[in-house]
Parts: sequence; C-alpha cells; structure tokens
Amino acid sequence: MKTKLSGIMTLFLAFVVQFTFAQERTITGTVSDESGPLPGVSVLIEGTTTGTETDFDGNYAINANNGDNIRFSFVGMSTVSRTVGDNNVINITMVSEENTLDEVVVTALGIKREKKSLGYSTQEVKGDAVNTVKDPNFVNSLSGKIAGIDVKSSGTMGGSTNVIIRGYSSLYNSNQALFVVDGVPISNLNSNDANQTNGIDGYDYGNAAQDINPDDIASINVLKGGAATALYGSRAANGVVVITTKKGVDRSNRGIGITINSSVTFNKYNKETFAEFQKEYGAGYYDGFHPGGFYFEDQNGDGTDERYVLSDWDGSFGTVPFDENLLVHQWDSFYPELPETFGKATPWVAGKNDPSSVFETGVTMFNSVALDGGNEKGAFRLGYTNLNQKGIMPNSEIIRDNVDFSATYKLTDKLTAAASATYVKTKGKGRFGTGYDSQNFMQTSKQWWQTNVDVKQQKDAYFATRDNITWNTSYINHDLHAIYHDNVYFMRYENFETDLRNRVFGNVSLNYDINDWLSVYGRVTLDTYSGNQEERINNNSTAVSQYSIANESFTENNYDLMLNFNKDLTENLNLTAVLGTNIMRQRYSRMRSSTNGGINVDGLWSLSNSKNPILAPTQREYLMGVDGYYANVSLGFANMLFLEGSWRTDIASTLPTDDNKYNYYGVSGSFLFSELIDSNWLSLGKLRVGYAKTGNAARPLTLYNTYDLNTPIGGQATGSLPNTNNNSALTNEESNETEIGLEMSMFKNRLGFDVSLYDKSSTDLLTPVTVTPAIGYGAQWLNAGEIQNKGIEVALYGSPIRTENFEWKVTVNWSKNESEVISLANGLDNLQLGSFQGGVSVNATVGEPYGMIRGTNYVYHDNGQKIIKDNGAYQVTTSHDENLGTFQADWKGGLNNSFRYKNLSFSFLIDMQKGGKVFSLDTWYGMGTGLYKETAGLNELGNPKRNSIADGGGILLDGVDVNGNPNTTRARMDYYANALGWTKAANSQHIYDAGYIKLREVALAYTLPQHLFANNFIQELTFSLIGRNVWIIDKSIPYSDPEAGLSSGNIQGYQSGAYPTTKDYGFSVKLQF
Amino acid sequence: MKKIILIALLIGITSSCEDFEGWNVDDKNPSAVPASYLITNAQKDLFTRMTSTSVNYNIFKLFSQNWTETQYTDEANYDIRGRDIGGGFFTFFYRDILNDLNEAKRIINEDAFIDATTKSNQLGVIELLSVYCWHVLVDTYGNIPYTQALQGVDNLLPVYDDDAEIYADLFARVDAALSQLNGGGSSFDAADLIYNGSTSKWSKFGNSLKLKMAVRTADFDADRSTTAAAEAVSAGVFESKSDNAAFPFEVTPPNTNPIWVSLVQSGRNDFVLANTFVDLIVPLNDPRSSVYMADNKDSYIGAPYGQGSSYTDYTHIGELWHTENLEGLIMSYSEVQFLLAEATERGLISGEDAEMYYNEAVSASIMYWGGSQGDANTYLAQASVAYATAGGTWQEVIGNQKYISLYGRGFESWSTWRLLDFPNTMSRPEISGEAVPRRYLYGNDDAGINGDNYDAASAAMGGDLKSSRVFWDINGQGN
Repeated sequence: MKTKLSGIMTLFLAFVVQFTFAQERTITGTVSDESGPLPGVSVLIEGTTTGTETDFDGNYAINANNGDNIRFSFVGMSTVSRTVGDNNVINITMVSEENTLDEVVVTALGIKREKKSLGYSTQEVKGDAVNTVKDPNFVNSLSGKIAGIDVKSSGTMGGSTNVIIRGYSSLYNSNQALFVVDGVPISNLNSNDANQTNGIDGYDYGNAAQDINPDDIASINVLKGGAATALYGSRAANGVVVITTKKGVDRSNRGIGITINSSVTFNKYNKETFAEFQKEYGAGYYDGFHPGGFYFEDQNGDGTDERYVLSDWDGSFGTVPFDENLLVHQWDSFYPELPETFGKATPWVAGKNDPSSVFETGVTMFNSVALDGGNEKGAFRLGYTNLNQKGIMPNSEIIRDNVDFSATYKLTDKLTAAASATYVKTKGKGRFGTGYDSQNFMQTSKQWWQTNVDVKQQKDAYFATRDNITWNTSYINHDLHAIYHDNVYFMRYENFETDLRNRVFGNVSLNYDINDWLSVYGRVTLDTYSGNQEERINNNSTAVSQYSIANESFTENNYDLMLNFNKDLTENLNLTAVLGTNIMRQRYSRMRSSTNGGINVDGLWSLSNSKNPILAPTQREYLMGVDGYYANVSLGFANMLFLEGSWRTDIASTLPTDDNKYNYYGVSGSFLFSELIDSNWLSLGKLRVGYAKTGNAARPLTLYNTYDLNTPIGGQATGSLPNTNNNSALTNEESNETEIGLEMSMFKNRLGFDVSLYDKSSTDLLTPVTVTPAIGYGAQWLNAGEIQNKGIEVALYGSPIRTENFEWKVTVNWSKNESEVISLANGLDNLQLGSFQGGVSVNATVGEPYGMIRGTNYVYHDNGQKIIKDNGAYQVTTSHDENLGTFQADWKGGLNNSFRYKNLSFSFLIDMQKGGKVFSLDTWYGMGTGLYKETAGLNELGNPKRNSIADGGGILLDGVDVNGNPNTTRARMDYYANALGWTKAANSQHIYDAGYIKLREVALAYTLPQHLFANNFIQELTFSLIGRNVWIIDKSIPYSDPEAGLSSGNIQGYQSGAYPTTKDYGFSVKLQF
Repeated sequence: MKKIILIALLIGITSSCEDFEGWNVDDKNPSAVPASYLITNAQKDLFTRMTSTSVNYNIFKLFSQNWTETQYTDEANYDIRGRDIGGGFFTFFYRDILNDLNEAKRIINEDAFIDATTKSNQLGVIELLSVYCWHVLVDTYGNIPYTQALQGVDNLLPVYDDDAEIYADLFARVDAALSQLNGGGSSFDAADLIYNGSTSKWSKFGNSLKLKMAVRTADFDADRSTTAAAEAVSAGVFESKSDNAAFPFEVTPPNTNPIWVSLVQSGRNDFVLANTFVDLIVPLNDPRSSVYMADNKDSYIGAPYGQGSSYTDYTHIGELWHTENLEGLIMSYSEVQFLLAEATERGLISGEDAEMYYNEAVSASIMYWGGSQGDANTYLAQASVAYATAGGTWQEVIGNQKYISLYGRGFESWSTWRLLDFPNTMSRPEISGEAVPRRYLYGNDDAGINGDNYDAASAAMGGDLKSSRVFWDINGQGN
C-alpha cells in the first residue's frame, strides 16, 4: 500500500514539478538506507515548492539551480541537505532518526562524540521537548522525558525546580545536576535562605537555570553517570544537563531566516490541589472556650446582648451550626469605613465565596523572534524572547527578556572563531509567600480559615478602603487590628515583594586545526548576574512592618585549553584524545539590609523610613576556584569496539591548602555486537560498561571559624562563636560508580531500547552534622558518611505505525533508584537534614533510604492493626523518631505518544511517580481547625459528626483496642482537639503517598501545507493548541499536588501552605520566513 | 604555529597554579575578637533567654501559672515536644552562652598582656556567670553533659553527668571564682552590662548564688548547705536592690526586653493572667496588683489555666511589661531575703528571725515595683500576709509570698515551687490534664544525635519524663 501510494504521489508530483519549472538543470540520483534503495523519499528544493519523490528503486530526478539546497526527508530518517554544485548526480544514504549509528552527541566539556562509541549512558531530547509546550522554567519540561532524572517543581510562580539525576548521593552538599549551555557551566543557585527551605517564611526566588530561554534550545543531552561526567570535575558529580542552543546555518543564496514564535497559555488553579471546605459550621474552637459559640455584648444599648462572631479566633469549629435565621455581628459590622454593613448583624451562613475565589486566571505569554543566517564562512543567530507571566495570586507577575546571540566564523581554513552571549533580565513582582507565615495565604486558608468569611467581601472591603480590613480582628469591634491573619488583598497589594536580576552568560572560543588529526581549542566563558530582592510589609499588618533589600551578585569564569587528537592509526583503529586544563573562578556576594522594628510612613519603601536606626546589613562573600587538568583517550576498533579512559586532577580552593588536590578517573567501553550479526532486523546492538571515580570539594568558607558580630548594646560591641563549627581537616567527597548498559535498535529503528544499570557509592560526604549542642555548636562540619544509590533506567521507543501519511510514535522512560545511607560519622545513626513545625524532620538515617521523614507514628497491635485509645483516637508513639518513609519515589516514568497525520500532529505525555512520602502541615492543622470537609457532615450512623458522643456524634476510627478487638469507641468531633488534628493525631496520620499519574502535556499542531505560500516568502506556519498539567489522573494526597514543596534542595517531602498547581491551556503560532 | 600553541598551552597550565592560601577565611567577619565582645553578648543572651515569654524561648511562666495562653494552648498544656521546648533551651545555653563564655576564658588565658589582677577578676566573673548557667541547666533537666561538654569536634558524643555531682562541682567553682575576685581592680568595665565591672558586686552575686544553691539542695545534703550558707552570708550577699543582677534592655530593637517583643511588637494577644495567680493575689489587696495586672476588666479575672480563653474576657498583663526597656532580672535583693528566711527556717543559718527576712523580702519586692515602705507595712499587717498568721507552715507562707514576688520570673518561680510545693493552688490544664512538670524533657533530637548517652541519662533520671525529678526536688507531691 505504502509503495503504491507513494508511487502515485511520485507520478503526480513529478508531473506538477515538470510542468511548472521546466528550464533548470536536472539533478538525478539514488537514495538508499543501510538495507537498500528507499522509495517515497521527499526531495525538495529548500525555500521553494519544487519537489519530487524517489521512485520504487530509490531514484529521483529534480530540476535545480547551482547553489540550491536539496532537502531529502523520509519518515523515521534524519533529514539530509545537499547543495547543488557542479555535479549532476547526488546519491544519498539516509540513516534513521533515533539512535542512528552515526548520531553525534555533545558530551562533557562540549566534546562531540559519536553516540555509538560511548561506554556510558546519555539521553538526548530535541529542543521541541521544551519549546513546543513551554514552561517558563524549561527544566520542568524535562519531567517524564528522560529516564533517571527526577524533576520536581515547588509549585509557585517563578519558583525553583529540583533536578536530581540518579538519586541523592551527597548528604548535605548540592545534589542538583550541573547545567551547561554551549560549554558554559551555568549557575543554578537558588538564593532561598534556610527559613524558606525549612518552611518558616520567605519567597521562593527560583533556581538560576530557569534563565535559559526554552525557545533558544536546540537539544538537551543528559549525562547521567560518573563515567560521562568525570571530565567536568567536581561540580558534575550529580550529572550534567548539556544544553546546545540553536545556531545559524549556512543559508547561502537564501538571505536571512526569520522565525517568529508566539504562545499564550491560561493557567487555572486545579481544584483537586486546593482545600474543600465544610459549609456547616463557622468560627470557633470549642464550646468550653466560649459557651454559646459567640461573644454576647450589648453594644447598641437596647438592653439585650447582641451576638458577635469570634473574630479574634481563627478556625471553624464553631458550635452553632450555620442558620440563615440567626443574625450575627460579623467582621463587616465592625468597621465604620464600611457604612453599608457597619453595626448590622447578618445571617450566620457559610461564606458565599471561599478562599479559592482569590485565585485569578494566570496568563503566560511567550513572544520570540529569531534571525539567523550564514554562508560557507560562518553563521549567526540572534534571538529575542519576551516572557510575560501573571500568576494566579493577585498582583503577581514575572517579566523576562532574553537576548541570545551566537556566531561562528572561519577566519582561515584552519582557524575558527566562535562566540555566544545571552542577556537575561528577569523582573518579578508579588511572588508567593511560602511556609508558615502571614505572607502565605495558603497558611491562612488551608490551615486556619473561618468558613463564615466571604472572600469577595474581603476583597471589596480592601479596594474600598485600601486598608487591612480583616476578618480576624484582635478584640471583636473594640480593637480592629489584624491579629493572626491579614485581609488577603491587603497582604497581596501592600506587602508585595519585587525583584530584578540581570544576567549575562556566554563564551568566546578559538579553534585551530594544526593538521587533519590535531587541533587546539581555547575558550573563555562567563556567567555573571546581579540583582536585588525587595520585601515589604506595610503598617497595620499582623507582622511587624518592614522593608528589606538584598543585593546579590555572582560571577563565574572558566578558562579552557584543549588539545584534540583524532586519527585513524590503522584502517581499523581510531584514536581520539583530549588533553586539557580548566581554570574555574567564582565570586559571590550578597548583602541584605532592612528597616528595624517597623517603618514610619505607610507604604514608603526605603531604608530611611526605618522606625529605629537600621542595623548593620548582613554580608556574605566568597571566592572560590578549581584548577583542573585532564586527559581523555578513546580507541575505536573497526567501528565495533570502543575503549575510553579519562583522568582529571582538581586543586580546589575550598580544601585545606596542604591537601587540596585530588584525582579521579573513569574507564568505559562499548561493544557493537550488531556489527558481527548480519541480520535484517537488527540495526544496532551495543553493550557498554563503565566505571568512574569522581570527587567533590567542600563548600566555600567551611574550614575556619570566624566570629559573628552582633548588634552592639549599651555602646558595647558584641560577638559570638558561630552556630556551626568549621573544620580545617576536611577532605574531598568521593563517588565510585559502575554502570552497564544495553542499547538495541530493530526493524529499521521501528523499535529500540536503552537500558542502564548503575551502582554508585559516595563516601566522605561533607556535612555540617547536627550534633548535640552540648559540644558548644549546633552543627559540626565533617567528612561524614556514605550513601549508596543503585538503579535502573529504561528508555524504550517504537513506531507501531509508520506510513507516509500517518505515524504513531511511542517513547517510554522509566527509572528506579534505591538509595541507602550506609554510615554516618562518629557512630551517629541519624542526620537531620531539616526539622519542621508539626514535629517532623527529614533525615539521613543509617540503613534507610535518604530523605527519611521522621515523627510520631501510630502504635500497632501484634495483630498488625492500629491501636485506638479509650478516647477513640489513635495511640501515638512517644518517640518523635519513628521512620515514616522517604520522600524519594519508588520509581518514575513517562509515556509519550505522538501521532502525525500529514500536517497534523498530536502528542501527549503521561508522567508518573510511584511512591515517595510527603507530610502535610495543612491537613495537620486544618483537620484540627475544622475547615475541611471531613470534619463535618454525617458519620456512619447518619448523625452529624459534630454532635456530642452522647448524641450519636463523633467518628469511629479503623483500628483495635489494646486487646486487639475491633474498635467500638467513638472519637469526639465536636472540638479542635479531635482525633484527626494536631493535638491528638500521629504525624503519620498526615503523611501521604506522593505518587501521581498526570497528563503532563498535550499538543495538537497543524502546519500549513507549503503550497499555500506560493511566493516562498513564508517557509513554515504552524498553529498549536497546547496544554500542560491538564489532568491529575491519580494521586492520594488530598487538597494538594503531591509534587508541591518548599524549594529546590535536599529538603523535600514537606508541605506547609502549599499552593495549588495550575492547569495550563493555550495556543501558539510559529512562523518561519 | 604549532610552537605558539604549545607555548600557549604551557603558559595556560603554569599560570593556573594559583596559591589558594587565604581564600577560605571569611574576610567579612573577624577571626579574632576581644573577650569583652563575647561577655557582653553572653550576658544579653542569658537575660533574653531567661526573661522572654516567647514559647520558642522558654515556657516557665506557664509552668508557674502566672500567665496562660489564649488561643494556642499547647504549651500551657505542657506540650514540650511540639516546639521542641527542651531542645531549644538546651541549645541556647550550650551553644550561645556557655560556649562563648568558654571562648572568652580561653582568649583571656592566652593573653599575655593583661595584668594579673584584671585577668583574675575577669576569669572570676566568667566563672560566676558560667556557674549560674550550669545551675539553670541542671535545675531544668537533671543530668546534663558537663565534664565532656563544650569540646567541639574533639568530643561529639559527650556523656551526661549526674546532676548532684555537677552541683558539687559548682559549689567548688563558686568558691574558686570568689577567690579570684580581688575586691578591687578592673574586670570588664563598661562591657559588663550587669555590674559595670564592679568586682565587689560580683562577689555579692557569687555569694547570693551560693546561698541559693545551698537552700535549694538543703533537702539533699544539709551539711554542705549549712556550711555554704554560712560562708555566703558571712562573706556578704545582696544588701539592697542596687545589688540586683539586672540587665538594661534598651528602647530599640533588637535590644529591647523580649517580653515587649512578644506582647507588643508581635501584634498578637497570646497571653492573659492565669486564674492560679489572680486568685492568689486578689484577696490580699496587694499593692503590686496594678503593676502586675492591667485594669482592662472591672475586676481582676484570671483565665482558667491551660484552657483556651478569649483575650478580651480576662485580665491582661500589666502595662509595665509592655515597655521596651523594662530591665531584666535574674537575681534580686528581695529574692535573697526570701532565701535568708528559708535558710533560717531550715536551720542553715541562725542569728536573725525568719520573719525579719520575710518582711524585708516582701517590702523589697513591693518597693522594687514602685510601692512605698508604708504600702508594704499595710500589706504585711494583714493576717493573710503576716508571717505568723499567713499559713500553716513556713513553706506555705514563704512559698506564697515568694511566688507573688517572683511574678514574671518563670524559671525561679517554678523552681521555688518545686522546692517548697507552695502555692498549693496550681491547677491541671483541662486539655492535657497534666501535672506541672518537674523538669523539661531533653531535646527532641538528643536520642538521635547522642543516643547511647541519652539512653543512659534517661535511665538514670528514671526516664526522660516530665515527672522525673531533679536530685534536689525530693519532697512534695506536686499538684
């Protein structure tokens, strides 16, 4: 059928083509692949509509001019271009698109290698994986697309994304992958402080890698193991994400190429990731605290007491059910500024608009234009992208401008110069407050809300007065200052943060070909940014008014010099080698100042507006450097057997100067057994094995103590020893990793897979160990401990259907990592990574996976059932050190399907995680304050749960009594100290499975047929409908996204005031001239 | 060309051999400071920690039921784990006070240029501050790391020492410190914000502390207490309120009284008077009432202790506690007079009537809070206050009045209650129903970070329980 159809097409096209352009010279040739001639290959003169197809024998004939580019394309094969020269015959051998034998990938230090020769695992995605359905943080787009990379967004606008490759292998040091753009290591720091990452307060300012513009990315290659990354030195210990940006191409005779890309997506909060409120009871905690459920005062002097809402309490455990006939003086009756409601009682009913009405529809717009051009001497590309993002919280936006320029030029036949530079300016406003803090409305609404409050009325009250008209006044209508919770609109519009970051990164390089097998390459790279973060709290807020400004700057330079050899020693023996040096220097500084004890003038945001003399700013500054020397040798025998060895020495400034040098190395090999098997079905079969030892240096300023200077008092200077004791005997961390892999490609690449197994053991891990403060410090820097990570990664792809007009492609990525903390220093059996409100902590526990969440647990009877006490609540362990599960997933997987019918394509990605645990402070408190659905309604007897036990209320928990008999004791649900909330529950009652199945991406694209553009001015016009995170197919944590967290970093598995995630829908247009 | 490249390569490699010496020293912070910086800092930290009412700092004012919590009543119900109350207090003393005192001692000892008298005085002052801190820790926890503590990386797993043995050493250290104070010469001068460097005041402080330790441990070792109390009194204890160990908090943050931070700056209404305190003081017509308590209600009304209570319904804390620069107090003349009364009743000292000390103690307290001697006399003339008639035992009479005089000083108030078991009106909070704890629990993390030693200490204490008792807390049934 296929051949028949293409035959007809060929005839048809040939006819049209012959008819239209009869005058030019005729070029002929044969197109074949490894198995013989290829019929039906599309042959097109670029920039024109002139085209044909190959016939049954793979032959074609086409009329063309000198200098025209002829493009040969065939489904499943890599497109090939040839420029018409003097020769009238152009024969082509095509290779399949995926895992082609000759596919070239970018490996460590930007060295290009044939993928078949590599003895370690790399996995590449093309730019369209991140720029079709764009996320402002391109890193988020990698989730599910590469086996073995764990990507988790913390879930706030512009927030940070955690990127872990092959598990957490360092106890405390960064486990984040290194990002490299065109050979330039890019800072991926996040400047969030410990308060932010531990869920106390602060804003998530995001990780720096999100400055990379998705539209500029041509491909992303992930180097997973040590054997792949050893050449990068210390910093690549956690894997490397190698990004190659788009470049100009040779467009001789075709002028400048212009690409315009526009997309807009609308972001709607996902209801399943936010609280569902009960609508039966309002403010209060317990009848014992306020008999009658209200305050009773005679304010109007009529001799009878009026009812007043318990406005100084938060929570929704009121004892009087909603009743529209019951009139109550609520917050809106307290304020003379609200004349319509002042002094008036209103029906006691659930707020018509619950906190979800605060969420607005977010809008994310990308607009980009790129110019590119080139000739045989050189090429350039210049791109500009504007990102305009408006978040779901009121008064929030991020605007980012990227300008990207790259160029290469052949100065002589032997000398090539190249340069690239990217400028990024990011402006943020109103990022979302995080953690257990009054700037986080999720803390208010998911933990302490009064269900009688109508958020819309709060909104109107704020906009009418521009004041903090709150539902949570200090002393009903006598003292109207906000006690625990601000009016959310006041908070969003008066207490907003702003930030600005300017960044430049790029490199210049020279390559000189000494002869055809030896070249020398030199490169200087720069990554520098500076910016500021301003935070504001206006007068009349619950928190002390404050203005603060932090200035941060970062610069990294790399100086690389490399000698490259590539020589066929004999006909069958090829030698590739690199000898080089890398000098890296980093400088970081941060300074933060703030007003002291409040501000004077409302809403004046300057340090001079401080109520008291301002205190000295906090300053942090460091300089660090690594000098590296390396060599890499690769031998290839008969294109079948490859052997590679690399070696590197680092001298790190952050280690003691008398012992700051360490070596590491990697060896790997690959065997293309398919070369020995003469078969039609096997295109590629490769077995690979690799081993590497890698190292990691200490953090800056961890060797020697200095004193902290504190604010003088009584005219006297004050100082103290630091909380963490540094250690001048630190040495480097070390990892030893072995991996083996099998890659196969079959049936003309219709089916293929790549499987890797690895075992990585990391020792001497540099850690500020939490020690007993009795030593005089809270933490001690040590080379402490060992972690082992073992895992498997599977990438599977196939094309179940592949015809000329219709194609269905499937890719599956699956990975499983198992980690175990083997040992810690000094006989310690546990290391706390973070401890949180609610009494839970995240730990490295000997014998357990990294990231163990600890807290109180249920107590189990010998029969395996949970024991229930005589108050009907679960018995809780007295110990806070029960292991409640790790935050790491059991496995992660992605399933991508793409369909193409002619010019119409459709794809969707299902992304999933099995297992992993997360603790929710939101339900921990919210079940106690009675705002969630579960805390009201009817029990299994059909009675209101909130009735007293005597009246048939309460709930019956699943468990047994101390004797092992099924529980028959009902637990009270008529007050805050119930069996579900923080006063009686075990931490484990609020630990949830973090697994999920998500429909992560959907895209439907239509490319207009080229014949519509007769003048050839437009080369491509594509419309797409796109969706991201459109459906959480399955999850088990209620009222939240299992992926939501605080920040990127080693502290995961804890949610405190977690924001809902958004469903993003939109469309995009791509226009190419 | 090849040569040029090779030379460039060589230059590249050799020029990179930079010496990183000095890169690891943080040049935004000092590598050396005078000892006085550490002393001033430790004094401020000590008074802040002891004075504060923030539940993140200490919850002694709840243990003593002076105040109670309004809405969030976990701590008033003696939940020590939820906010790791035990761990926070422990950390603060070792890491932020004792380690700096130790460091100051090291700096002074290594300083060859201080004259011998000053050096001796300075070491004596540091020692007395240290002993004060250690006694607070022992009284709070019982067994604690002591002999192996504060050794940094050299001992990450210090053992917990027996509380009674630590006290024995503290008695010796007070004596040694007193002998180091030369009565003249300078010590820390203006950097000493408690006594402005006066060694004679520090001597009185040392002797008063020794008296307090003697009284506190009299049930455990009467002989030692008799000797120590007699020595302390003859050497000279506090003679007037000008000897008070007080700290001058300032009007501007972050040097304000921490109670102001919690009551005013926070904008929160977390505390009101507890009924335990109010019900005791109101029948006595106490002249301190209007200082201790606000007049926001028609009559003083304390909230039921430990039960959630509306701020609006109960008596608020007195206006004075809402001022930024209210001075902090860790030992007072009035308190020492009470100690002398107790020592007399216990037979540790003789020569004066306990009643005389009692009257002086109550008078001193009233006058400290702004009353006159006349107010005190009127007050003491009441049968409900007079020494002879105010109660059935001297423990009751002294216990009740000392409790009133120690208002706002949670640690000392709670400790005195543990010793005397009066007032006997302490209630059990409704939610938890728990008795007043006899000690803090060790930090939540201790079992994980110093496990074997923690286990041994817990076992020795009869379990890491709130009901386990410090060695001197022998008599009394609690509430």
